[in-house]
Amino acid sequence: MNVQLTGVAKSYGGTPALQDIDLEIGTGVTGLLGPNGAGKTTLLRIIATSIAPDRGKVRLLGHDPHRGHAELVAARRRLGYLPQELGYPADMSTFGFVEYLAVLKEWNDRRARQQEVRRVLGLVDLADLAGKRVSKLSGGQRRRVGLAQALLGDPALLVLDEPTTGLDPAQRATLRRTLSVAARQSSVLLSTHQTEDVAALCERVVVLAAGRIRFDGTVLDLVRSAEGQVWHTEEEVPGAAISWRTGSGRHRVVGGDPPPGAEPAEPTLEDAYLLMLGPEAVTPLPA
Amino acid sequence: MSTTTWHADPNLLRAYVEGRLDAVLSASLERHVDACAHCRSQIGPLIEVPVLEEAWSGIRTGIESGRLPLLVRLAQRLGLPEPTGILLAATASLRLTWLTGGLVTLCFVTLASILADGAALWPFLLVAPLVPVLGVAVSYGPAEEPFEALTVTTPYGRARLIMVRTLAVLTLTLPAAALLGLTLPGPAWVAVAWLGPALAMIPLLLALASLTGPRLAASLLSLGWTGLVLFAARDLPSTWPVEGTQQVAYLTLALLAAAFLWVRSQRTQQIGVAL
Repeated sequence: MNVQLTGVAKSYGGTPALQDIDLEIGTGVTGLLGPNGAGKTTLLRIIATSIAPDRGKVRLLGHDPHRGHAELVAARRRLGYLPQELGYPADMSTFGFVEYLAVLKEWNDRRARQQEVRRVLGLVDLADLAGKRVSKLSGGQRRRVGLAQALLGDPALLVLDEPTTGLDPAQRATLRRTLSVAARQSSVLLSTHQTEDVAALCERVVVLAAGRIRFDGTVLDLVRSAEGQVWHTEEEVPGAAISWRTGSGRHRVVGGDPPPGAEPAEPTLEDAYLLMLGPEAVTPLPA
Repeated sequence: MSTTTWHADPNLLRAYVEGRLDAVLSASLERHVDACAHCRSQIGPLIEVPVLEEAWSGIRTGIESGRLPLLVRLAQRLGLPEPTGILLAATASLRLTWLTGGLVTLCFVTLASILADGAALWPFLLVAPLVPVLGVAVSYGPAEEPFEALTVTTPYGRARLIMVRTLAVLTLTLPAAALLGLTLPGPAWVAVAWLGPALAMIPLLLALASLTGPRLAASLLSLGWTGLVLFAARDLPSTWPVEGTQQVAYLTLALLAAAFLWVRSQRTQQIGVAL
């Protein structure tokens, strides 16, 4: 197991952000799904050794990062991290930015370092923009620069906080390809609040809500958990906790009792996710 | 040569590509190849692809990574490791603005104290020890370093990065400030004595910054030092802030701060907290 968390908890100023987190992650792509404020970023920051938990045990790549500096550095040497918010210095070139981070990741030999920088820029389709200033790139291109630095040195553990933000469908497809190659040897853990990302990218999904793990299993298992609880109706169902009008003009109802005259529907990952979070996940429309 | 029907022997071309020809023969062959399309086409396939790739990669890197600032290139000639140069080149504190500002202030204060005919040593004592402090505070980078979230998770680590920057700032500012100190009025030892509080304030700043952040720490230290110097300027000898007893106090404080930093770095498991 590349990541082992036991009883991990973290709070900010008395407000709990994470409670009793037990999680084991091996190779493959794991998606962390949850609404905003569920604790996804806090969990990823703990796994990326950016912050320490208040309680609980963390083991990363066979090391205990909180046991001492040597253990911490040993874990960090095999870790790639893309933070949720990544600022970029105004006057650095794309190549310069990734090279700077490569130096911080101990690529001390100049030739090997520059080859590696070019390799990761190629992986995210930015080889031709290497000389361009980061500040002149588009949002999606910058996100890919962030991803490129995370891929430096083929890390055994890749922690990506909302990597798909700002990417168009074609770029998402490229990201999917890159991650599936990386996941053959490594653990990839990514967070998102979009179910399509999880369906497209991940084998395993962990749903986090209000700082606790609500579901941990395969994407298929999560979808199956909504079987028999999704219907189509011709008319709007009064009192249904989760329902919306679809593009075909019919209404989709998730959860609760089957409405009269309803036709059962195949659940999607999104249905299952909404059902799991309950009615509180759906903000009621103003009356 | 282009009109001749003579062409270079393949073995000769190979020897040239492999660097086995002497300078005269090489130069002669180069002149011929320049003018002879046939020999140019023969020499191309002899050059190995990795060699070409390496040359091309060198050219691309030169363009893409840009040149390091002059100061860093100079430091590299003096033995600064290449990776450290890259880290320093990206440091806001190496940009000229504040450095010039600091030196101009120093010159101004020194000039003022000379013009005051030895009576006003305090302006120099007020500003000079603070120059390295402010420089180090700046070396933490902008208030919200754009990619600090990343820096703290790298094996190099934020604490080491700050130490490297601090050393770079001191290397840049202290010699200049020390030279200016030589022009001071009053006893000659003052020119060196002000380095006492200046150096003592560095560990104090780092220790305070670990609690309050670099900006508040630098402000608190500057206020404290200003208060001390102005208090001394009122009715104590002008050299009082840098005299023996006070120097012992600075040294004690510096040692305490260093011990605090050490204990904190051992105890805390949180990254980027010790500094």
